[in-house]
Amino acid sequence: MLEIKHTLCPSCSVGCGLNVIVNNGEIVGTFPYKRHPVNAGKNCLNGRKSIDSYQNRIEKAIISKSETDVEKAMNEVLKELNGVDNSEVTVICSGNNDIEAIEALIKFSESKNYNIAFYADNLKDFSEVASYDEIASAEKVFVIGDLLYENPLIGRRIVHAKQNGAKIYALGKTEKSVTFNIADETSNSTVQEFLENNQGNIDSSSVIVFNYVDSQEDLDKIESLNCKFLPVFSKSNSKGALSIIDVKSSDEMLELLESTKVLLVFNDDIVDELDFDFGKISKIISFSPFSNKTTEISDIIVPTKSWLEKDGTFVNAMGETQKFTAVVESDVLSEIEIIEKLNG
Amino acid sequence: MSNILAKSQNENIQKAGECGGAVTSILKYLLDEEIVDGVLTLTPINDVYDATPTFITESEDLLNAAGSYHCAPTMIGDLVQKYLFDKKVAITVKPCDMRAIDELITRHKINEDNIYVIGLNCGGTVSPVSGRKMIDLFYDANPDDVVSEEIDKGKFIIELADGSEEAVKIHDLEEEGYGRRDNCQRCDVKIPRNANIACGNWGAEDGWTFIEINDEKGQELIDGAKKAGILETKSPSQDAIDARSKVENIMINMAKKVQDATYPSVNEMDEWSRCIGCYACRDVCPICWCFENCELNKSYFKIETKMPPSPIAFQGVRLSHMSFSCVDCGQCDDVCPMDIPVSLIFDKLQKKYYNRTGYVAGLSDNIKPPLYSPEKTEL
Repeated sequence: MLEIKHTLCPSCSVGCGLNVIVNNGEIVGTFPYKRHPVNAGKNCLNGRKSIDSYQNRIEKAIISKSETDVEKAMNEVLKELNGVDNSEVTVICSGNNDIEAIEALIKFSESKNYNIAFYADNLKDFSEVASYDEIASAEKVFVIGDLLYENPLIGRRIVHAKQNGAKIYALGKTEKSVTFNIADETSNSTVQEFLENNQGNIDSSSVIVFNYVDSQEDLDKIESLNCKFLPVFSKSNSKGALSIIDVKSSDEMLELLESTKVLLVFNDDIVDELDFDFGKISKIISFSPFSNKTTEISDIIVPTKSWLEKDGTFVNAMGETQKFTAVVESDVLSEIEIIEKLNG
Repeated sequence: MSNILAKSQNENIQKAGECGGAVTSILKYLLDEEIVDGVLTLTPINDVYDATPTFITESEDLLNAAGSYHCAPTMIGDLVQKYLFDKKVAITVKPCDMRAIDELITRHKINEDNIYVIGLNCGGTVSPVSGRKMIDLFYDANPDDVVSEEIDKGKFIIELADGSEEAVKIHDLEEEGYGRRDNCQRCDVKIPRNANIACGNWGAEDGWTFIEINDEKGQELIDGAKKAGILETKSPSQDAIDARSKVENIMINMAKKVQDATYPSVNEMDEWSRCIGCYACRDVCPICWCFENCELNKSYFKIETKMPPSPIAFQGVRLSHMSFSCVDCGQCDDVCPMDIPVSLIFDKLQKKYYNRTGYVAGLSDNIKPPLYSPEKTEL
């Protein structure tokens, strides 16, 4: 039976809708979700390819590179957790987890006195951020990062602003970029220099949109300016996570990892994101639907449901709560079911 | 070819469907008699703006699909060729759907013997997100309260949950940048006459559907539905035939004015400067069927490593390869994250090609498409 089902794109924090084509229970393609208010049926390549990761999902539990069943792997996880002091256990959650999973992970970590860590591109939460419509209607847009290429459905709002007569100031790390193609002024400076050089231009009719900063001071500087701003995260629910858990900077993450003996990573690729010698950690345990650099070096891997197999909630970059429902049935464990098993 | 007026003999279908429910009845006949394995048609998932192609195999589910959905600018050609190739399928099509299907039949990607094609007149479609904004701005109504919509007599008409109706002239909406999608405004094919039958309200009496029977298969469909006792027909008056023709010609003339105004205005290189090389336009194009065999996937055309992407390496190559076959369905515009008017650029070149060769994509029977490659039919 051919069906088209609604879900959300998990590729970044913009919160685009995605239609998935399911044929005889198998996910076979994507289809434009034109009714979705964020992207009106437009998805970038990452969004459309997001289903490829499902087709290559982890289906078997793994202990020391050998396939095993989930029950054995979970017993092994419990053994590792019981073998160390609770203060030496760190739980990593991320913007890849939905709100329900993060809440359960916080509760679980607190009840066991484990450390819990959450990292969001070295960015942080702001109580008030610009909406996507406010970008499109701004008179001046200051863009930090190649948002047209990296977050195209935010980039689209920058294009709309340009078409509405706005002036676009773009900062990037490369000499050329798609955002530079439409910008009135471009720069390859540091974020701090970019903000200082443009301070006279930035006013209440301006919006700063950014997907990276060089330092925490850049965030303080942005917050001090008399304008709206929007941080765009690399993960679908980073904004939602930020609202319920304290974020750690990269330095704080490295410090915590130094004192960790057992690392429980829930659907994240911390190895790819942080420059740390993970060989120092005795046991790395990944609960993940997909292979990544962290699962590659993990001692134990337990497959978990992907976003396509469960109901959940994300919060997008501008703070909108977005519910999604499973598009295929699955008997794989969700993060919450894993926590229930770990709690006994 | 002949013309009839038709309506359902089934009371529930008459109530749920539009114009007497003839289309729904014909689909029911095809399913109940097991002539087809299923019907691919639009069904609203959450609301009237959210109609989505649905494969229906039980005729009682057809009632959910009854009605017209102008705020659902979908395309079904690629679904038929990719996922339903071996099935007997009835499909409801707008003219651009039909043109795409015709091009795919020519390329041996859809088996003509397997499909029953019910054409629907089309005055244009509206993008759902901008449609909701349009209703919010120009109507005294909450978009959430709209239960159905219609395009008739030059107006976009909404019906609210309390049964009341509101109408605004499409011309006025389009002057403000709303109304029908850009490609629909310049589309000069309003009745899909290469479908087995072409149905709609133009020229029809109240409670009846005007049907043009275009071929033998279409005649068999109508005869079968009548014999099954689900369809009632009568002959249209000459006035009805003239009225239908008048509406069609007015819409074609309006489209040609839009073509004249928009073709010279587009600057391809300016528009392409925003291209991020995401391939969304290629991947959604119903005529681009090569998928992973597409030459643009070959290493010598790969643009992902080059920043910003070179427009000629992707857009230029695709334009030279595909524009002759463009059916102006506008799907490429709909999915482009950078709002590049891809279909305008392609359609403009298609029209140039038509002016020199007479070839109209999806309408020129028995002519191989330009750059047709027999080798690729084997892929």
